[in-house]
Amino acid sequence: MEKLAKSLVVVLILLVVAVPLLGRLTTSQPEIVELRARMPENGGWSQEFIYGQVDVPIKLRMTSDDVVHGFALGQSSQPSVEIFPGKFSNAELIFDQPGEYTFYCTRWCGANHWRMRGTIVIEGPTTADQPTSVPPLFLQLGLDLDAPHLARVIPQNRPDSARARARANALPAGLTDGDTIWSNSPEALWIDLKADEALDDQVIWDMVAWGLNQQGSPGWLEQGRELYTQNCLACHGESGKGDGVMVRDLPPMNHDKMGSEATRPPDFSDPAVLLGASPALLEGKIIRGGMGTGMPYWGNIFTSEQIRSLVLYLYRFQMELTEKP
Amino acid sequence: MGAMEKAASYRFDLTRYAWVRRLLTSRWPQFILRAVTLAGFMLVILTGFIGSPVGSRNFAVMFVWIAWWSALKLIMLPFGGRVWCSICPIPMPGEWLQQGWLVKPGGKKFNLGLRWPRRLRNTWLQSAGFAAIGLFSALALTTPVVTAWIFVGLIIVAVVVSVVFEQRSFCRYLCPMGGFIGLYATMAPLELRPQPDLTSVEKGAAVREWPRGCPWINNPAALKANANCGLCLECLRTESGESMALNARSFDAELGQPGAFRLDEAFLSLGLLGSVMIYSAVFQGPWGALKNAALYAGSPAWWGFAAFFLLTSFGLLPALLAGVSALVRRTGNLGQPLQMVFTRFSRALLPLGLLSWIAFTVSFAFGKMAYLWPVLSDPFGWGWNLFGTAAVEWQPYLLNATPVIEAVLLVAGLIWSGRTVLKTAGQLGVRGERRWAAAPVLLFALAGTLILLWLLIG
Amino acid sequence: MTPTKIISALAKPILGLTLAILALSAPLPLPPTQPVERYFRVEASQFAYSPGVLQVNPGDQVTIDLVATDVVHGIYIDSYELQASADPGQTARLTFIADQAGLFRFRCLVPCGQLHPFMLGKLQVGPNLIFLRAVLLSLLGLLWVLWKKPLPTASI
Repeated sequence: MEKLAKSLVVVLILLVVAVPLLGRLTTSQPEIVELRARMPENGGWSQEFIYGQVDVPIKLRMTSDDVVHGFALGQSSQPSVEIFPGKFSNAELIFDQPGEYTFYCTRWCGANHWRMRGTIVIEGPTTADQPTSVPPLFLQLGLDLDAPHLARVIPQNRPDSARARARANALPAGLTDGDTIWSNSPEALWIDLKADEALDDQVIWDMVAWGLNQQGSPGWLEQGRELYTQNCLACHGESGKGDGVMVRDLPPMNHDKMGSEATRPPDFSDPAVLLGASPALLEGKIIRGGMGTGMPYWGNIFTSEQIRSLVLYLYRFQMELTEKP
Repeated sequence: MGAMEKAASYRFDLTRYAWVRRLLTSRWPQFILRAVTLAGFMLVILTGFIGSPVGSRNFAVMFVWIAWWSALKLIMLPFGGRVWCSICPIPMPGEWLQQGWLVKPGGKKFNLGLRWPRRLRNTWLQSAGFAAIGLFSALALTTPVVTAWIFVGLIIVAVVVSVVFEQRSFCRYLCPMGGFIGLYATMAPLELRPQPDLTSVEKGAAVREWPRGCPWINNPAALKANANCGLCLECLRTESGESMALNARSFDAELGQPGAFRLDEAFLSLGLLGSVMIYSAVFQGPWGALKNAALYAGSPAWWGFAAFFLLTSFGLLPALLAGVSALVRRTGNLGQPLQMVFTRFSRALLPLGLLSWIAFTVSFAFGKMAYLWPVLSDPFGWGWNLFGTAAVEWQPYLLNATPVIEAVLLVAGLIWSGRTVLKTAGQLGVRGERRWAAAPVLLFALAGTLILLWLLIG
Repeated sequence: MTPTKIISALAKPILGLTLAILALSAPLPLPPTQPVERYFRVEASQFAYSPGVLQVNPGDQVTIDLVATDVVHGIYIDSYELQASADPGQTARLTFIADQAGLFRFRCLVPCGQLHPFMLGKLQVGPNLIFLRAVLLSLLGLLWVLWKKPLPTASI
């Protein structure tokens, strides 16, 4: 009788202890990487580095320990995967070139959301043709990203690229040259055009807007809007004023002294800010980040095409730009 | 006695049926249930430590704070009194060490057998334990690891106390849930009592035998109150077992009769009332600052919350009741000392406390019951699906009806306590035509009810 | 017992029950209100909504903009069974007609951290009738308790 009782207790306790251990052993597969997502305050990704080989699939099994996260690969067209607390999501990655790739979190998980990144290190033989990497335009031009760039010439009304379209035949040739547009601020373009053309100030601003608009690749507006909404809005705000929910407690930006402490973003609704910045400058800031001001660096997250769409989208805070100019 | 009084004191002896008595005296049903709860206890500790940190996907949080705690307050306590204590696994390892055997007492003992210190033979330590858990409740209810640590702490303390002290001293004097369960068991419709027709000879014989046989350190022959009887049923299994009966009774059978109530019990009664108000504000209110203060243990806001919790529950409420008791004592020209008036009125407020806790549970738990299904299939939160219920989505259960249910419960508690307050006033000496002298205490009960109504459905 | 004794014994409980039922169900005289359009900007943070209590009248067209300020939050309104979720930077909008009167809690359905199960707010449509009725019932209950109940003689 006593033996029966003892065996019952032993069996029950063994069951309780053995089931999870057996479960762990039988369900864990060595080739699956278990990645846990946590807010950066709680540790961030459980693995900062994931190692793999060329052409060997990496299987990820992901879950979150606190809030909603997401997983995506930088500079990749693979769709992001949502990661819910307590639920498991899977992703399979395969790389055909060795190198370092960035993975990052795609759902806002607090003020440090953008820091939630990791690296996938792929080893293996390189194939013959590797595209040579071109340095970004701001480096080629030697731009000082932290120098003040407030415009002094301001348009009376919002520049409208559609108004300029009506005079398409009379538009100067320089306005279609990509290098020119990307390397100069709208104010600089305006000053150049004003010197050559004897036209109304507003008309010239419209032409500058048209010139910028030409640089948009198909689908840029939607792409720019999506990127801005998912990545930038929370800090830069719905109207670009720099009043997003994430930066409420920060001091306002000082344009003269771009320091290295976190401040609010600049006010894009102020014409002086955007019109004095060349697309190359904006592209550079997006790529490099803010050196301690809190602006994240996106160089290894977005492709050049994405960044260009985003830059054009930013100008929409000051100009009317459309999908098909 | 009036018809109502007769009905209230009617007892139905369930053990008059031989099969009931056999079921209760056999050790197997209770042992099997306790073995299962012990396995559950171990599972809680295991899932708490190595399972998912997400509370709603972890067995530890869901089955302790939602399933067990709700079952305790909604079913076990109001209808069975201390019936959980009869199947609680916490004292089991200690008992095995004491008895030397798993099932039947007897055999080699690992036990010093010391008597619990006289000064601590009350509910002060239980109040302290309950308050301590209460201060960390926001953390414990949402963090599996904290729940696991609490359980580990409980079992270690229980084992140590069992080895040093006699019998179930842990259960009787130390268990944090024990104070809560014991006091509210006063209103339960179930009791274990000596047969009413015991002769004094039989009582005398029992007295000699039962102190050895009652692990809760009671004298069953003299048992008059539910608070300290843990329904372990050992007295039924002794040679004098026939002299004990398990009675079904009305809810008001014990509370309606005058009964002694110590100062520590009075403070616990009021402390529990204060606790349910604060729990309602923290967990069911819309005030984020209060929730964060309760969560971040160790922060300055938390210290403020802790001070507020303790001062209100164990300071302000007793002070207020003492004040109104003094008023009643003066206007009713009562001869008893203030302490007695105070403690008796605290006892009369027990129904309000119990029904408030039930109403709070309805508000708190119904919205979370649906998470139990996925956790059954995936107790560790590792992505398992043992019973196929892992993907069951959340849905609201009865959320439309809960405000009405809570209102009815709270008003019922007020009425029950109100009647008991008047009875108590009469028992203390307030004469019939001066019943309004008891109004201050009734107003105290009304104020408490209104506060709870506002917090839960306001 | 004679019939009159039975009736007099039952009179008090029956009267009490009738009053209780009346208190719970009788229509209370309330000033009629015109439905209007209401807009609320509700900020959700860990772990509360701000404002936490929304007051509207029955029939109002209610628009709630959910603004998440730190992590992804959601909103689910009991009884109405409406839900939305918002990322910081992306406001979610819920528009509905408040056709059910009473007190409804809204809760966060997107796991947003430790106290997520207790992230609650209240939507009050019309006056809080159930609360008023409960208060009325409490007062009636106390009066009923006090009415002509013979107190036992002193025994302690």
